[in-house]
Amino acid sequence: MAPLGLLSIGEQAEIVEIRGQKGCAHGSSKNQLCHAEDMGLRVGKTIEMLNNEGRGPILLKVDESRIAIGRGMAMKIMVRRKK
Amino acid sequence: MMQDTGYKIQDKDMHHASGIMHQRTITVAVAGNPNSGKSTLINAIAGTRLYVGNWPGVTVEKKSALFEYEGTNIKLVDLPGTYSLSPYTQEEIIARDYLVHEKPDAIINVVDATNLERNLYLTVQLLELGIPVVMALNIHDEAVSKGYKIDIKIMEDALGIKVIPTVATKKIGLNELLRAVTDTSGHHPKKLNYGSDIEAAASAVEKQIKNSYPQLLKKYPLRWLIFKLMEEDSHVMEEINVGDKSFIEEATKHLKKAHGNDVESIMADERYALASGLTHEVLKKPEFRKMEMTEKIDKIVLNRFLGIPIFLAAMWVVFKLTFDFSAPFADWIDAMTTGPFKRWAEAILGFIHAPEWTVSLATDGVIAGVGFVIVFVPVIFAMMFFITFLEGSGYMARAAFVMDRAMHAIGLHGKSFIPMLLGFGCNVPAVYATRVLENPRDKALTSLLIPLMSCGARLPVYVVFIGAFFTAYAGTVLWSLYVMGIALAVLMGIIFKRTLFKGESPMFIMELPPYRMPSFRSLMIHTWEKGKHFLIKAGTYILAVSILVWFLLNLPWGVENKKDSYLGKMGQVIAPVLEPVGFGNWEAASSLVSGLIAKEIVVGTMGEIYVQKKDEKKEQPALTDDLKEMGTSFASAVRDSASNVISTFGISSLSSEESAEEKEERSPLRDVIKSKFTPLSAYAFIAFVLLYMPCVVVAIAMRQEFGTWKWFGIAFAYQMALAWIVAFTIYQGGKLIGLG
Repeated sequence: MAPLGLLSIGEQAEIVEIRGQKGCAHGSSKNQLCHAEDMGLRVGKTIEMLNNEGRGPILLKVDESRIAIGRGMAMKIMVRRKK
Repeated sequence: MMQDTGYKIQDKDMHHASGIMHQRTITVAVAGNPNSGKSTLINAIAGTRLYVGNWPGVTVEKKSALFEYEGTNIKLVDLPGTYSLSPYTQEEIIARDYLVHEKPDAIINVVDATNLERNLYLTVQLLELGIPVVMALNIHDEAVSKGYKIDIKIMEDALGIKVIPTVATKKIGLNELLRAVTDTSGHHPKKLNYGSDIEAAASAVEKQIKNSYPQLLKKYPLRWLIFKLMEEDSHVMEEINVGDKSFIEEATKHLKKAHGNDVESIMADERYALASGLTHEVLKKPEFRKMEMTEKIDKIVLNRFLGIPIFLAAMWVVFKLTFDFSAPFADWIDAMTTGPFKRWAEAILGFIHAPEWTVSLATDGVIAGVGFVIVFVPVIFAMMFFITFLEGSGYMARAAFVMDRAMHAIGLHGKSFIPMLLGFGCNVPAVYATRVLENPRDKALTSLLIPLMSCGARLPVYVVFIGAFFTAYAGTVLWSLYVMGIALAVLMGIIFKRTLFKGESPMFIMELPPYRMPSFRSLMIHTWEKGKHFLIKAGTYILAVSILVWFLLNLPWGVENKKDSYLGKMGQVIAPVLEPVGFGNWEAASSLVSGLIAKEIVVGTMGEIYVQKKDEKKEQPALTDDLKEMGTSFASAVRDSASNVISTFGISSLSSEESAEEKEERSPLRDVIKSKFTPLSAYAFIAFVLLYMPCVVVAIAMRQEFGTWKWFGIAFAYQMALAWIVAFTIYQGGKLIGLG
């Protein structure tokens, strides 16, 4: 298991855990990780790293969409590399 | 155009005129993910019938249209693009409230056929509402060319809705879509099975609602209500105020225990599982995946080393093209307002024997004031056109990505960059656009920096001064001003981050849409939407201010010298402060005072002050000559514009330079400015105009957004100081190194 932010370009991985996510309780929550879930970044999803420069945001391919996320968030998402 | 596709819809009004009445009217909401081609579809269906307004109380755009299709009146309402109906963002809340409270007769669910799973997640949620849904399986051509096979029959059966493949950009499938919408009978959205645990809890809650709260059944869709109660959705709980919540807890106890999570997450997972399962069932993808065009472009555009240079180059091209394209048209309008229009107004007023001062008010005040500003309509529309192109092509989101790191330096993230980019068009919508930022800290900081983005209103001032002093490198000088604004925004951001906004930078998440060539039609529609605000402003606000400025310049009554007028006196008071920055004359100071109201007015006021009435003893051309001249000079403007644009790309620009010089003679304001400023003080002046306080409309926008004058106050104070310091540095520094 590794944080998403450490994958290099071209690597594929499955999301196994999204840390700091204690349910997306409605209304009270401004939890952006929940918004990320709606955009398709969910546990069990296979993602591909499209852009990772070691600093700054990363770009992922999830299904057919390209989602950019900040590095802070990328380090909270744990993945398992796929061979 | 419409006939080509056999596509026939009529304006409702037209139909009424022809006397056919008693038609059925249905309301149809259009829902879908961002980037699903929803707005293209709406534009393709409704075209010019589209009415753009705002959702009540908020500044999220609301599009609607009313038209007739095969004997049915259809009221189309476009919902904001959302990924789900959960209330995390304002868009989601709007979409959800509309669907639940307004109860449209049908929903068109626009689905991106190339990205089925995530789009179906929203579809699953729409079905909970029990409203008939028709799915527009959009971007179908792209899915086909990618080798995707989607089994529409299975999808229709599984969801209990009609599924119509569409290609909105080519107007394919729209007839079938509208026909399906007008006849949804026989298609009842399926109650999807959410698994035994959830369904058991749901039926327990249902029983309780039917027994204890039957009045809710009329107000809310049943299944949706059940789910929201189970999720204990705070918005819904607040709205309906169920006294005793224990029955919900009782019903969901087993569910929570079995899944070890809160109900909301369990439900979200189940919905996603349904979407995912259905996708696997209906979609066949080719095994291998070739690298798509979008990814190839992104490899270059988002590259660590190339990203920012490419962005800056793109901006440079935009400004150069804007200037080159619009300058001949601007000159044409200028010639028209100072020539024929003025003469006509004089002739008309003279004919009705209006007093002398009204002639002056009409020509020097209204026509000159508004005219000086109207001149910039071509520039503004050209700029809006290119910004729209960047948005529509998908590059804008890349700019946010590329700039994310730089934005972190100033305590913001890439998403804040989009409101800032919009600020180049106009700061007012930019301030409103800060709503995409969830965090109040981000909103405030972004709003404070937005006024440093050089808006379209400042362009007129630059254009006049650049025209007077820097014609040879107009594009570069213009570009330098925009870059200066950005650089100072970075500097101020760093300062604010260390002082007013200590604390963590927020998280960044956004979708990068695939690159697409925006259609000319949609470019035109959106350019118009953006640019028309400027026209409206010119017609109302600037008109009023021009009249006001005229009075300030001509009062006390009968004042001989403009210097002794009220505005002139104000200018004289302020002038000494501006002495060290290179333009300590009352004329410049007075113009700047009037520009507090809106920056483009600076030009109008200068026009009124500097351009004194000349002897009008010239032969008055006849009306027909005027009209002929308007036509021929417009034709030559088109020619010049085309040749300018070509020259941007490196082809000889000799001819355009010639014509630029030719035209200068026609602009009296430029001549006066040339004698009153040096190139150095002119540059200091336009830098000052770039930076000094945001206009009154921005002030109002900031007040509205934050409910307090605090942030505007801060913006006002720091910008005045910044403007003076920068102009001082430019002017005095330039003098030191021997310029000017």
